[in-house]
Amino acid sequence: MSGAAWLLRRLVASVAIIFAVVTLVFVLIHIAPGEPCPSDEPVDPTVCLELKREFGLDRPLPEQYWRYLVALTHGNLGYSFSLRRPVRDALAETIPFTLQLGAAALLLDFVLGLLLGIYQASRVNRLPDLLLGNITLFVYSLPTFWLALILLLLFAERLSWFPVGGASNPIFCPTVDSLYCVADRLWHLILPAATLGLVGAAGTARFQRAAMLDVSSQDYVRTARAKGVPERQVVLRHQFRNALLSFITRFGLAFPFLLTGAVLIETIFAWPGMGRLAFNAILARDHTLVTATALIASTVVVLGNLVADILLELADPRLRVRADVTTEIVTA
Amino acid sequence: MTLGTWLALVVALVLAAETVRWLRQRALRGGRDRWRRFFKHRTTSWGVGIMAFLVILALAAPLVAPYNPNEQLGIVQLKNHAPSWTFILGTDVLSRDVWSRAVWGARVSLGIGALGALVAISLGTVVGALAGYYRRWIDPLLMRSVDVGLALPRIFILLMVVALWDGLPFAALVLAIGLTSWLGTSRLVRAEVLSLRERDFVVAARALGAGGARVIFRHVLPNAAAPIIVSAALGVGNVLLLEASLSFLGIGVAPPDPSWGNMIADGASTIYSAPWTTLFPGLAISLVVMSLNAIADGLRDALDPREEPA
Amino acid sequence: MLSAMPRRSSFIVLVILAVATLAGCERRGGCTGSNCGTLIDAAIAEPPTLLPPSTEDVVANDIGEQLFLKLADVGMSTNTVGDEDFQPLLAERWEWDGPLTLVFHLDPRARWQDGQRVSAADVGFTFDAYKDSVLGSPFRTKLRRIASVTQRDSLTAVFRFRERYPEMFYDAVYHMRVLPAHLLRSVPRDQWKTAPFGRQPVGSGPYRFVRWQSAQSIELEADSTFFLGRPGIRRLIWRFTPNLQVGVTQVIADQADVREQLVTPENVERVRAAPQLTLYPFRGNIYTYLGFNLRWSGDTSKAHPIFADREVRRALTMAVDRASLVKSALGDLGKVPPGPMSSLLWIWDSEIQQLPYDTAQAGRILNARGWRDHDGDGIRDKNGQPLTFHILVPTTSVLRRLYARLLQEQFRVIGVRAEIDELEFSVVTQRLGTGNYDTAVLSRGNDPSPGSGITQSWTRGGWGGSNFGRYYNAEFERLVDRAIAAPTKDQARGFWRGAISTINADAPAIFLYSLENIAAVHKRIDNVQIRPDSWAALLRTWRIPPDRLIDRDRVER
Repeated sequence: MSGAAWLLRRLVASVAIIFAVVTLVFVLIHIAPGEPCPSDEPVDPTVCLELKREFGLDRPLPEQYWRYLVALTHGNLGYSFSLRRPVRDALAETIPFTLQLGAAALLLDFVLGLLLGIYQASRVNRLPDLLLGNITLFVYSLPTFWLALILLLLFAERLSWFPVGGASNPIFCPTVDSLYCVADRLWHLILPAATLGLVGAAGTARFQRAAMLDVSSQDYVRTARAKGVPERQVVLRHQFRNALLSFITRFGLAFPFLLTGAVLIETIFAWPGMGRLAFNAILARDHTLVTATALIASTVVVLGNLVADILLELADPRLRVRADVTTEIVTA
Repeated sequence: MTLGTWLALVVALVLAAETVRWLRQRALRGGRDRWRRFFKHRTTSWGVGIMAFLVILALAAPLVAPYNPNEQLGIVQLKNHAPSWTFILGTDVLSRDVWSRAVWGARVSLGIGALGALVAISLGTVVGALAGYYRRWIDPLLMRSVDVGLALPRIFILLMVVALWDGLPFAALVLAIGLTSWLGTSRLVRAEVLSLRERDFVVAARALGAGGARVIFRHVLPNAAAPIIVSAALGVGNVLLLEASLSFLGIGVAPPDPSWGNMIADGASTIYSAPWTTLFPGLAISLVVMSLNAIADGLRDALDPREEPA
Repeated sequence: MLSAMPRRSSFIVLVILAVATLAGCERRGGCTGSNCGTLIDAAIAEPPTLLPPSTEDVVANDIGEQLFLKLADVGMSTNTVGDEDFQPLLAERWEWDGPLTLVFHLDPRARWQDGQRVSAADVGFTFDAYKDSVLGSPFRTKLRRIASVTQRDSLTAVFRFRERYPEMFYDAVYHMRVLPAHLLRSVPRDQWKTAPFGRQPVGSGPYRFVRWQSAQSIELEADSTFFLGRPGIRRLIWRFTPNLQVGVTQVIADQADVREQLVTPENVERVRAAPQLTLYPFRGNIYTYLGFNLRWSGDTSKAHPIFADREVRRALTMAVDRASLVKSALGDLGKVPPGPMSSLLWIWDSEIQQLPYDTAQAGRILNARGWRDHDGDGIRDKNGQPLTFHILVPTTSVLRRLYARLLQEQFRVIGVRAEIDELEFSVVTQRLGTGNYDTAVLSRGNDPSPGSGITQSWTRGGWGGSNFGRYYNAEFERLVDRAIAAPTKDQARGFWRGAISTINADAPAIFLYSLENIAAVHKRIDNVQIRPDSWAALLRTWRIPPDRLIDRDRVER
């Protein structure tokens, strides 16, 4: 199948997936029992009916769904009654924070994880490998929220090295408008990103080590060795390149949890990101906000997978039919 | 801790250690090749030992726990008591014995882990096998559904399900966790089945007239068992972490019943003055997940001579 | 690749060093003198809006105190009777023009923050808004005894009452914050809850609004031309934290200056150990109770199968050792209230008749009402129905969740099974409003006047409002009305005693604790005046002496 046709097929499939996700979430949140009033204060039944009519919640479900889709095409994500603002504004404010946390955590995760994994593979079964192996095993098994509590206790309260939650210093830097404020944001970012990143790095290190060790016995590596290619070159070029391919796969899979899976971290560190927003929205049964969050989350995930697939395709067409990997990173 | 419970604890420890030692000896001495590979690394043995110990503790909870886990022993004087000889892991903010709660909580947490993983693995295997074996239109249909399921983070879906239907009974919670965890397994199984279905023994079985289901269950799956088993071992750990997260958010196991997750949640507000209330359940979770990961590593070595990305 | 790594890693190290150095350079502002200063309050929960009549939210009220002025306010004694103990604010003086008419003369120096003068028309407009049923303000019932507010001229407002009672002046001034008519007249009342004004308010108070960063902070700046005196501290910031724990940690780590309530003894200990903080205890205005729903959650037109029975409610109340619960959860920071009141109220009297703690008696009463353990499962039952109910508690309060668990155990001991439903705050409010609950652990913040709070929560006037359980006792209401109307405090005391004994005997709720407040304030701050009914009311009098300014105080912005 040609590259362009394949890409088109994947794009269409991606759109279909996003569509299906939004429909699923929409239906779920509307069929949940005991649908409360779209208000965050006690209101008597007549006012409640009025509010429902205003938000169009008294119409039959298919009609609500159709109206929602139409509104979407106009870029109108709806109105959040729990936040008393248009959904677009609420989301627009949280997305930068989520992106920052996600990017920092991913950076730490993959840089540290890759380095550790490669180092371990190069010293396989010797003391450094065994020691690091046990450490990564331990860190990987920690519940992230527990780690967050411990880090907060140790570094923020006891040692005061880092701020106790929040995303910025409200006095000096309510907005990031100078280099100093960028540094301030980074300083606030370190603990939450470290919590997510360390656990992720441990997983990546284990994964990468295994991938590199597996690869080393594959035929073409053996062939290269047999051909007399210098060992160092064998290691560098073949091992790393193929391990890189597995890494790309894992990268694509790491997206989901960062967006809305970082709920617990955002809650504990008071990081105003999308995860916390989504969580509060679900609990408040704020239909529009939940559906919008699902839309964005699934779009990012699907895009991430698509990008990963494209990169794999470019790097090694032989891997097009790949056995999907299932190391699921359960962080929450 | 009473004399009886100390005794039971020691017995449990010894039993676990002995079981591991015995298994290891059997394996290394004359067992099959796979067992020898399984026990090659020390960490795997430790993993098996710790899991055995914790499972024995959970099963023998009434014997090992000196107090009723929900009983508030003295809300004025025994609140947030530091670990001592009477309360080896201390008491929590409601003056309940942390050790007793941890042991009974093991039942809940490990139980949810095992059951949830069972549901997940079963469902995932069936779906993956069907998709991989029959191909045609079933495969794209099922796999696209899996993609949809994977597009949303698991915790998001779980939150929606659990938060929207409040008052969910325990069984429903386990079911919900299981139902959101099968997706990855199905992909894995599908890949295995895909690569196995063209093998000689499968073709032969089909030529002899064996029906689809029979071929799948008697010929294909047993050979695909390796990654499924590994996935199962990891799955229990994942479900455990998931349950802990949900309980921490306040939507998991309901009070007063203990689970490791809600013990951490209960103790989070006094983490500074009474760290033992969060430390021990957190350590317990980490230990279980660690052991399961170590066991999974061993299983991978044992069952899978053919290299596969971990 | 391996050889390239050292170069790459040294580059990364350089970047990190650069960032670290930059972070080390603090912003040095140039403010010196006695009107600098930044006060950061570690607040819990973001308010929904800053428009005063639209919300009873505590943080909104605290911020409202700085932005908007009342006509006059109670003094430190929180005496609500008569008018001698009140402090003039927007009104510089007042007089009685007949038994039912009160005339206020506004201070001609008062200005809105956009420059316009505050006029009596604003007062009239404010009264109309607060009483408007479309707006549905929670303060509406508190103003029911005021018939009208009119203007005699641009600086004179006239209040006419329906009847005479001791707290007329209090009702006229305490509940309303005067709003700018010229800015709000054009906004339809049904849109006030979501109006942009609520997110960018303009008031007449000592502080003006600067910015609101969603989910993060609200910033206010002192108005140096404030007619009652320039505020001592230049900038106020309310910083939102997800829960009490994180808030206290921020204050201890010197990332905030004030935490107005520490709640638990553990937090007090932590603050005591922090060298830069001072503790300020003050009388609490909050009490918490386990409210019984007298209607059935399944069908609110029917009575509750368990709680409609007065004897059962009394038995359940007697089964709870309230004193031990307070000792365990709060140590010395709480008291068992003698009725639906906090220790702020002058009617607090531990001699008032209450139900005793007597589990044996409780058991006998339950037996007598037919609730026995017929099937031996440890839970009482009657006609096949077990004595089981749900306790609703919001996830936001650690203390209330703790209490729910304590209560669960207290009930279990006498054979009653309680299940705890921890739900999000808005869902709890929703279920309370529609009557879809069995019992709930609720907290009420008191006005300094016993009349308004008790009427709101325990009389028929509160049905559809804060009287979620729909308690009604004609005798109780008669006594309350007479207490409110009684001309002297001594006479009123007698009626209040009777009223509270009546409600205690009916046991529509178990009154669990009254919180004693302790605030943690940075020690550099002087003249910390905390009024018990509203801690932030006198923030403008707090000062930071020039020799104690720290970095965040000096910022110019």
